[in-house]
Amino acid sequence: MRRLLVTGLTALMLLANVPNGFKDVHAKPLNIPVVYYKLPNGLKVVISEDHIAPVVEVAVYYNVGFRLEPKGRTGFAHLFEHMMFQGSANVKKFDHVKYVEANGGNTNGHTDFDYTNYYQTLPSNRVELGLWLESDRMRSLDISEENLKNQQAVVSEEVRVNVLNQPYQFFEWISLWENAFTNWNNSHNGYGELAEINAATIEDVRSFFKTYYAPNNAVLTIVGDVDVNEVKKMVEKHFANIPSQPAPPRADLTEPPQTKEKRVSQTDKLANLPALATGYHLPPQNSPDFPAMALLVQILQAGDSSRWYQRLVKEKELTLDLSGGLNYFGNEFDYTGPMIMTTRTTYKPGHTADEVIKEMDAVIADITSKGVTEKELADAKVQYRSNFYSQVESSFGKAHLLSALALFRDDPQQINSLLTPFENVTAAQVKAAAAKYLVATNRTVIDRVPEAKPQPKTGQ
Amino acid sequence: MKTLLAILLLATVSFAQQKTPPGPGAARPLNLPKITEKKLANGLTVVLAPLPNVPKVSAILTLRSATTASDRDAHPGIAQIAASVANEGTDTRTSKQIKEELRSIGGTLGLGSDADSTTMNASSLSEFSTRLFELMSDVAQHPSFPETEVKLAQENTIQQIRAGRADANFLVNERFQKAVFGNHPYSFVVPDEKSISALTRNDLRAFVTKYYIPNAAHLIVVGDIDVAKTFAEIEKAFSGWKSGIVPPEENPAVPTRDKRQIYFVNRPGSIQSAIYIGNVSIPRKNKDYFAIRTANTIYGGSFYSRLTKNIRETRGYTYSPFSSSNTLAKSGSFVAGAFVRNEVTGPTLLEIFYELDRMRVLPVTDEELNAAKEFSTGNFSIELASQFGLAGRINTIYTYDLDKNFINDFRPKIEGLTTADIQRVAAKYFDTYHAAIVIVGDWEKVKDQVTPFGDVTMYDAEGNVITR
Repeated sequence: MRRLLVTGLTALMLLANVPNGFKDVHAKPLNIPVVYYKLPNGLKVVISEDHIAPVVEVAVYYNVGFRLEPKGRTGFAHLFEHMMFQGSANVKKFDHVKYVEANGGNTNGHTDFDYTNYYQTLPSNRVELGLWLESDRMRSLDISEENLKNQQAVVSEEVRVNVLNQPYQFFEWISLWENAFTNWNNSHNGYGELAEINAATIEDVRSFFKTYYAPNNAVLTIVGDVDVNEVKKMVEKHFANIPSQPAPPRADLTEPPQTKEKRVSQTDKLANLPALATGYHLPPQNSPDFPAMALLVQILQAGDSSRWYQRLVKEKELTLDLSGGLNYFGNEFDYTGPMIMTTRTTYKPGHTADEVIKEMDAVIADITSKGVTEKELADAKVQYRSNFYSQVESSFGKAHLLSALALFRDDPQQINSLLTPFENVTAAQVKAAAAKYLVATNRTVIDRVPEAKPQPKTGQ
Repeated sequence: MKTLLAILLLATVSFAQQKTPPGPGAARPLNLPKITEKKLANGLTVVLAPLPNVPKVSAILTLRSATTASDRDAHPGIAQIAASVANEGTDTRTSKQIKEELRSIGGTLGLGSDADSTTMNASSLSEFSTRLFELMSDVAQHPSFPETEVKLAQENTIQQIRAGRADANFLVNERFQKAVFGNHPYSFVVPDEKSISALTRNDLRAFVTKYYIPNAAHLIVVGDIDVAKTFAEIEKAFSGWKSGIVPPEENPAVPTRDKRQIYFVNRPGSIQSAIYIGNVSIPRKNKDYFAIRTANTIYGGSFYSRLTKNIRETRGYTYSPFSSSNTLAKSGSFVAGAFVRNEVTGPTLLEIFYELDRMRVLPVTDEELNAAKEFSTGNFSIELASQFGLAGRINTIYTYDLDKNFINDFRPKIEGLTTADIQRVAAKYFDTYHAAIVIVGDWEKVKDQVTPFGDVTMYDAEGNVITR
């Protein structure tokens, strides 16, 4: 699992609205070239040239994440991601990694709520190698019982190292989602229960591959120091003859509206300090409230100038840290289903979760009554633009955003106009969004406190 | 044994599928960055490299005198606390004003200290670079260490360290540094609570006055910049910074290890053993740098490494085995590690040692060495394509006083290595015979698997020796 920087908007900006004299400064608009088309088998292809460094990203995004894994098989989408490195007709187990690294690149995969991606960064003259490797496993994945068992053991260790042997056990993701959502597709543990990870069979692997890993359920993205016309020919050669499959059934991801606050108390065997996580249901991405809500999240909790950080850590000295965001693993664009705004904070011994919640609520009440300042909103937009540039700085980051826009919106050209809805947000809309969504009945709160521990005997 | 997916067999019947990997196209130009070095009258070295991939600017200011060794006897940990509080207020700006100003320029600014320096990393939209440099300069020259901020940082640091002591990652790293570097300043990870509490605002101000000086500092700026214009902005922002007397380097003896030893941190309830195995290696300027770096790539420093193939892909003991070569100004360390379920703790130690000894006793194959060379040079280019990647590379040149041609010479230096070079440095520095074996785990669950590998000293999470 990999964390992505929260991203946001593009260039151009609302500079005319800014009251403090930045209006003389002209932001340089980014103009990212995008070529987008579909092969007859349904594969979406995105190519973006960029010649600043001799580097290319080759990425494949499949339209399946852990929301769609089968019941009784929690963690399967992620286990399957590991299977994709276990060999295909012409590439032996783990040789995908060998080929990429021995050609000067690096490679990995990641499973998320609504997608699974596979990517390699390579010297740009090795672009065809990346295409061949991705085409071979899309066409002809080849998994043995032995390799499945091996990766079930590896993934079990991944869950132990990142969840079960850790203080807090990822509660701000796994527990929060289990409690905040009612539809199993959204609520279940996407990292997986060990017993269910280990119960998976070769038949499960075959069926999942056939259903979801077809060209018509994927995006292929190439970003970097390449020639579009040459790459198009290579794509044709390696991908055009991979047969398409019937479109996979879309699971029902709808959530009933939450009507009362959920509060959960937990104890932790390993942690030394108490911690708190909150999740508020967000409006869908196509809601007119969404851009205002995204900026409100920024104002509340992005960085140490944010309202909640200032209140909790600096003014009231109640907590040690503050983390979270609009999409726990990604950004505003790389998911499709229902989402919650996540916040996590470690608080100081001697205090209670109620004290922390009271202060968080006081900040919300201030916004719902007085709104945010024009300066705060303008700064939030500048920060968004800066974060956006940081995301598209690397060929991977640019490929990620292009892939998400192709996968979920069928329109990667939007990368050059992503800002527009956000730059138009007004302070009044932010205030209204706070009043509408940041209400107790729309949230889940988990308080996680250390279990009482015996003192170890010491000596020297 | 292998089960081909039926659907794919069908797919391959009617279409030709290429069976072997395509070869590379013509080599593309490397576009190595143009680097300009200048010096201000106060002694500050300024290094500029345009990389206009996005309209941002990324900067690293390195204070070479402010190390964890600085003022260590009187005030252990002072460099770390000074770095964490320096951006919480200056003579003319409150903490909140600094954060809000950063927000308004799409900026970040943070400091950290380590064994060889204190660094300030900062970035902003390039259109606001003047304001970014002004802020950096203010924080470097005039941190005021307000009483309330110092007190809050002391309290919070103590609590954060307590929180960290629940985490096996923190504990295994802390014990490893102490095991390898003994009493050398490089063993420092975090200060104890008493040292933190004892620090005063005046200690911190005196520390900064003495150690944050431009004539022992360098500023690296990479991004969407115009060299002449950006240098003028930097000169304006930093020229008022007064130079000081460069404090003499503290130069304690570099440690050596005389036996293999197990350092076991008992963490009851652990369901995994966190394992680090390693030893002292070389300082950054040692001529064996490239050979050790490459030996590390082959052993456990890349995904397709010997250690990963063995204990992950063949045996399924672990998710993320690794090894790492860390070279510092006066010494360095090599470490191999893995987090494994309790049941395979002993077998993992066996395989880590087996793979280390195999590197020492037998030459690597030409295929392995060639792959490692490609991996290093290709990924080096990828690293240089990002602003902070390039700035970080340039920074090490100035922090460790390396050859100024380091970036251009990287490829020929790597390509000149032979299998004999790799075996020679492995034999010397993958020193299993005197290795430190650090394990964080549940002693009662794994003790019988651990004791065959050496004498054991046991610790609790706070670092106290426990009598068994």
